[in-house]
Amino acid sequence: MKGIAASRGIGIGSICLIVEHDLSFDGKKIENVDAEKVRFSAAIEKFKAETAEMAENIRKNIGPKEAEIMEGHLAMIADPTMSGEMTKMIEAGQCAEAAVTAVCDMFIGMFSKMEDDLMRQRASDISDIKISLLKILLGVEDVDISKVAPGTVLVAHDLTPSMTSQIVKGNVVGIITEVGGKTSHSAILARALEIPAVLSVPDITKQVKDKDTAIVDGTEGDIYINPDGDVIAQYVRKREDYVRAQAELKKFVGKKTVTADGKEVELFCNIGTPTDAKKAIECDGEGIGLFRSEFLFMDKPHLPSEEEQFMAYKEAVDIMGDKTVIIRTLDIGGDKEIPYMDLEKEENPFLGFRAVRYCLGNPEIYKTQLRGILRASAFGKVKIMIPLVTCVDEVRAVKALVEECKAELKSEGKKFDENIEVGCMVETAAASLIADMLAKEADFFSIGTNDLTGYTMSVDRGNAKVANLYSAFQPAVLRSIKNIISAANEAGIPVGMCGEAAADPLMIPLLISFGLDEYSVNPVLVLTARCIISKWTKEEADALADKVLSLATEAEVVAALKDAAK
Amino acid sequence: MVSKKITVTNAQGLHMRPATVFSQAVTKFQSDVKVVFNGTAYDAKSVMMLMAACIKSGSEIEVQCSGSDEKEALDCAIKTIESGLGD
Repeated sequence: MKGIAASRGIGIGSICLIVEHDLSFDGKKIENVDAEKVRFSAAIEKFKAETAEMAENIRKNIGPKEAEIMEGHLAMIADPTMSGEMTKMIEAGQCAEAAVTAVCDMFIGMFSKMEDDLMRQRASDISDIKISLLKILLGVEDVDISKVAPGTVLVAHDLTPSMTSQIVKGNVVGIITEVGGKTSHSAILARALEIPAVLSVPDITKQVKDKDTAIVDGTEGDIYINPDGDVIAQYVRKREDYVRAQAELKKFVGKKTVTADGKEVELFCNIGTPTDAKKAIECDGEGIGLFRSEFLFMDKPHLPSEEEQFMAYKEAVDIMGDKTVIIRTLDIGGDKEIPYMDLEKEENPFLGFRAVRYCLGNPEIYKTQLRGILRASAFGKVKIMIPLVTCVDEVRAVKALVEECKAELKSEGKKFDENIEVGCMVETAAASLIADMLAKEADFFSIGTNDLTGYTMSVDRGNAKVANLYSAFQPAVLRSIKNIISAANEAGIPVGMCGEAAADPLMIPLLISFGLDEYSVNPVLVLTARCIISKWTKEEADALADKVLSLATEAEVVAALKDAAK
Repeated sequence: MVSKKITVTNAQGLHMRPATVFSQAVTKFQSDVKVVFNGTAYDAKSVMMLMAACIKSGSEIEVQCSGSDEKEALDCAIKTIESGLGD
């Protein structure tokens, strides 16, 4: 069977199926109220103990912020109204399951009607509590993912963050789910944990049972259930090859990134928080090609102040020393829930008031960020990157705001880099078509292949029914990428790529041929990318690109690239 | 019964964490503690009811305490709100 290859590597193991339980119950009147109350109290105590343990695990393994969700559940269940109402219903002759359901549903109804987004999230917390309590009362055992045996392949409809948080890296050798794409939450976490994963396999939970043997090929997106011995032997060899290749990568530590014919390129990292910069250094990244600034806005109950932003940017800049740090300004829209920002729910958030459009519509918010970045630029090599550019006016407007901020900082006697570069993300069909015009305004380009593919192919990558169209190897996307890089080369400005494609072994020869200057990748892929880049000469890459650009279908393109892969 | 009006000033208003801090602070008193907001009285010992009141930053509320230790309970409630509810 085939799914989406979401995290590289080969896993062979025994399946642990995570099923959604049937939580229906018989809502009969009870005879012995006291016995029911004892049963209810025992369930509450068990819930508290389990939740406290989970909170502690999450705090240790992930962080205190993530543990707060579980601590919130504890506070809610300890609430006198919550347990009090449940007890009253039991005293009136209802069974504990009915009491839990009725009281939780009442609160869910109350919270889900609220205007406040944060409050509405409480409804899902109470729903979690309800499900956990019902499971305890009905004696339904949940699989404890943290306790699965070594050599387990997890199969689930979807992998929630709380499930992922329980994964012990040494024990889980593969992940298969029914939903999700390459850039979904579960894919990102699987890659961070370096566990092979294949996602979007239709109805897989209905086709397997516990202890079935599974092969997960997260590089190709193939899975095999109960394969015969020959297939297993073949994949055992593949797994050894993969492990050996990983070991070979270690040889590239500390080396420059050069093509086989000696052209040096830059190999940067994508990061989401200042501490990720440490990971970039550990993984031998040569700079930061994309520092997403959204974390500053998502983690707080209010807009981050200039000082808070300055400190966060400076932290990353300090870690990187004299290496480049490209900070992407706020890239957010109506698909994200940030209560204090008054982001309206939109019919089409990805075509709406987001990213640079929102920032230019709220210049005071934007200037706070620009001032924070400018002040951090006094401490290293910082560049500003504008997301979702579609026309020249946007670049001009941002540059004007940057100049305004510079003048203000100068009059306040605050330091910054006078010559800070302002570049744009090229990730829309519009920007690609006018790349030559944008190249006259911007100091650099960075191609965001994730959005460029989505916008060019008009496809929602999270929708399994159309996700097959979502490929950077579609001829339309390849032409677009080539056009963008050529425009930058002709204008003499540097051009990078910060989408997932920059680390794709099949894409790299094309990027070498097109003339990409900077590759920005997930830190764990730095060595892989450096290794692949080292194998190609410009001449070989050009020959392959010529051939591939004449092919009319994605399947032919991928086949030709795989055929030529080194 | 003793009571006092106060404005909630912490940035989040009475969300999960601040509401938990507040209800824990008053739970240790024997007195009944109520928060009156928009004409409705909510049990301040209940996180759920406090959150259900949806009290935002900048809102004025009245804290009412009645019972044997009502004065101490009111003092504690007001101090807890003034201190920013752990924000």
